[in-house]
Amino acid sequence: MKPVDLAKKLRRDAAFEPAALDRGKAALMTAIRQEGERRRRPTIVPQVPYQNIGAAVEFLERAFGFRELRSSRLVGRDGVIHHANVEFGDGVIGIGTQGAHGAISPQSAGVASQYISISVADVDAHYQQAVAAGARIADEPHDESGSIRAYEALDLEGHRWRFLQGAREMPRYERRGRP
Amino acid sequence: MSSPSDAEVVGRSLAEPEAFGLIYDRHAATLLRFLGRRAGARVAEGLVGELFRIAFERRQTFDRSRASALPWLYGIGTNLLLKHRRAEARRLRASARIIPSLEAPDRRASAAALDARLVFPRVADAIEALPDDEREVLLLFAWEELPYQSMAEALELPIGTVRSRLNRARARLRELLEPKGKDKVRSR
Repeated sequence: MKPVDLAKKLRRDAAFEPAALDRGKAALMTAIRQEGERRRRPTIVPQVPYQNIGAAVEFLERAFGFRELRSSRLVGRDGVIHHANVEFGDGVIGIGTQGAHGAISPQSAGVASQYISISVADVDAHYQQAVAAGARIADEPHDESGSIRAYEALDLEGHRWRFLQGAREMPRYERRGRP
Repeated sequence: MSSPSDAEVVGRSLAEPEAFGLIYDRHAATLLRFLGRRAGARVAEGLVGELFRIAFERRQTFDRSRASALPWLYGIGTNLLLKHRRAEARRLRASARIIPSLEAPDRRASAAALDARLVFPRVADAIEALPDDEREVLLLFAWEELPYQSMAEALELPIGTVRSRLNRARARLRELLEPKGKDKVRSR
């Protein structure tokens, strides 16, 4: 028998668990998502302080449709989340521990000092989701000038979020000349 | 509508990374079996994960003039196997013991079986004794049955080099399997 034919006879298939391929696929997709998340670093990332970051992230995902970038979550030895990042569309917001960097949650301060505007594709559908998740509505959906439709909601700790539809460009009132 | 080629999928994955999952769906089973034949099931499962992670990270280096990504993936797998030479050698020796009994189950009667039990360990040793680059070509040819063009793409070599390596591997095996060959193995 020729040497190559002898070598061919030594070919022996390994016995795999049926789930081996599925595990590999899951690991690959996790690695792919993490790479994508590492690359998502917008120039500006607002940091929003909370007393309970885990609850805040869960609420932002469920009520407002944010998605946490899980690979960047910071967890202390005590299991408490110290920082997380959430994305919405092409934007990223940091969810930080109150007190760090001098930032205080409205739940402690008693007052919010800022609000964040987010453009959505369907503001009424977004409103329904927020209400169903128990968000407090600070301003019901309404039409504004410039074909903008918007509503405002408060999250668990009183941060104010403005969701609007129909205004992807810079708001008009930024134009020069307006008082 | 025909499904997109691997080259198109890899191209798309540059902007949409998750598209790369389709490359896994198409080729992971083939590569898992390839790695399993060479290094056993346990090593292979870890290696196939490493292989696709490396492929994903290097996807922009894939030559998209090639329709199939399979030879490229074989090449990455071949490199990874170099780190698992001991697992490979163990498996090859085990196969040399198992295969003859599968070929001729009636151990008492068959002279051929006895012969095989003597011959296959020597074939395994001879394959083991080949230089890495010749063993790679031989096993891609004999076990994976890759055409020359695919071996050339996998190993990033000209086809002529693949042919000459395979010929050298054949000649060396023949030499190592001849009765005198054993001494030569020892003297190496």
